[in-house]
Amino acid sequence: MKLQHYLGGLEGLEQSIFEKRVFVQPWEERVFGIHVAMMALSNHLETMKAVPTQFKSFWSWGHLRKGAEGLNPFDYFTYRYYEKWLGGISEFFVESEYVASAELDSKTAAYLENPAIPLPQGGEAAIDNRVMEYLRVGDSPKCDVAIEPTFKVGDVVTVRNPLPVAHCKLPGYLRTKQGTVVEVYEGAYSYYFPTGDGVGDPMPIYNVKFDSHQIWGDLTEPQTWIYVQIFEAYLETQKL
Amino acid sequence: MTEKIDRETYSAARVRALEALLIEKGIITGETVDKVIEFFERDMGPFNGAKIVAKAWNDPMFKQRLLDDTPSAIAEMNLPRGMAGAEGEHMKAVANTPEVHNLIVCTMCSCYPWPVLGLPPYWFKDPTFRARAIREPRKVLHEFGLDIPASTRVDVWDTSAQIRWFVLPERPTGTEGWTEEQLAAIVTPEAMQGAAKVVVSVV
Repeated sequence: MKLQHYLGGLEGLEQSIFEKRVFVQPWEERVFGIHVAMMALSNHLETMKAVPTQFKSFWSWGHLRKGAEGLNPFDYFTYRYYEKWLGGISEFFVESEYVASAELDSKTAAYLENPAIPLPQGGEAAIDNRVMEYLRVGDSPKCDVAIEPTFKVGDVVTVRNPLPVAHCKLPGYLRTKQGTVVEVYEGAYSYYFPTGDGVGDPMPIYNVKFDSHQIWGDLTEPQTWIYVQIFEAYLETQKL
Repeated sequence: MTEKIDRETYSAARVRALEALLIEKGIITGETVDKVIEFFERDMGPFNGAKIVAKAWNDPMFKQRLLDDTPSAIAEMNLPRGMAGAEGEHMKAVANTPEVHNLIVCTMCSCYPWPVLGLPPYWFKDPTFRARAIREPRKVLHEFGLDIPASTRVDVWDTSAQIRWFVLPERPTGTEGWTEEQLAAIVTPEAMQGAAKVVVSVV
């Protein structure tokens, strides 16, 4: 099992912090902006073809999440949210040879020495136009293909228990549990890349309702229902 | 050397170094990151969701359309272009009532409906919240200052496929006759994720 996939329901934790700010350190918004730009400039987007950026890679939420899910699980819980982003994104740029590791280290040392050194200016305006257009248009995973859903509203389904993969869209606490289909979403939905456990190609997704007591028994609370939107590949007909 | 450097100071220098190199190498421009941040401050934020909620409170027909077909209802409104843009491609609203309290969580990551709510706050991304809210939502909400009566059902929505959820909170009493603008001013992002109720602040 991969601990990152089994976060839901974990015992023994302290009180949650009701911190309402998005960024708790000023530097965090910079790495957020870099990630958005990478998604917007990703080579899987048709509209990217004519944009004069030197970024030539495929980058998506899936890639960012895969990095976080690939961490040593104990490290995963040591780093704060955007610390994981910074680590994963820096590593991607070094591994993809956009940036040399030594270059990044020496530039980091220079900014540690003098944080006031201004950022370089300039660049192709078409890059920024593309990034802003991505934010307004998005990257819908809904596909225009005719696929007949296997399940219908009211069906009792069992959640499959596939072996762990590098990046997974199935919350661990649901594995082997039974739920009821309460909505079949119109159309078919792809994922950025095949995850290796069935998700990737266009397929139906469902809203499945679970009784939290079926999952956690008395360790949950009265009158609590869980609704999860699940890719069809993770579901099978109820085993009798 | 690094053991003497504060964790935040190091990350700040590291991200600035990365941004500088990406600009130098023509991957992004000197303005890209600023423009992204500005977009969420000015165009896409919880102020959009607040307007949607306010309209639903004052217009029962709109409310029904919002719950039946969220994207179409939102498209009726005069909001910035891009309400079906990044992380808003497939949104759905669920309504709180005296019988049902809805809470949104993303146990696997931090999926969030950007166009209506902006960017996810720290608490929503916090692994402790993500781990606990799905199993003991009442206890977590109590810690957040919200007590759900035992007679009210709690529906927890774990967004792990492609649908992004937000909550249509209950309209507080004492707001009868208010304009949409007045109502929008009291709707908080926390309430639109089910982590708080909308209250009329005592000034």
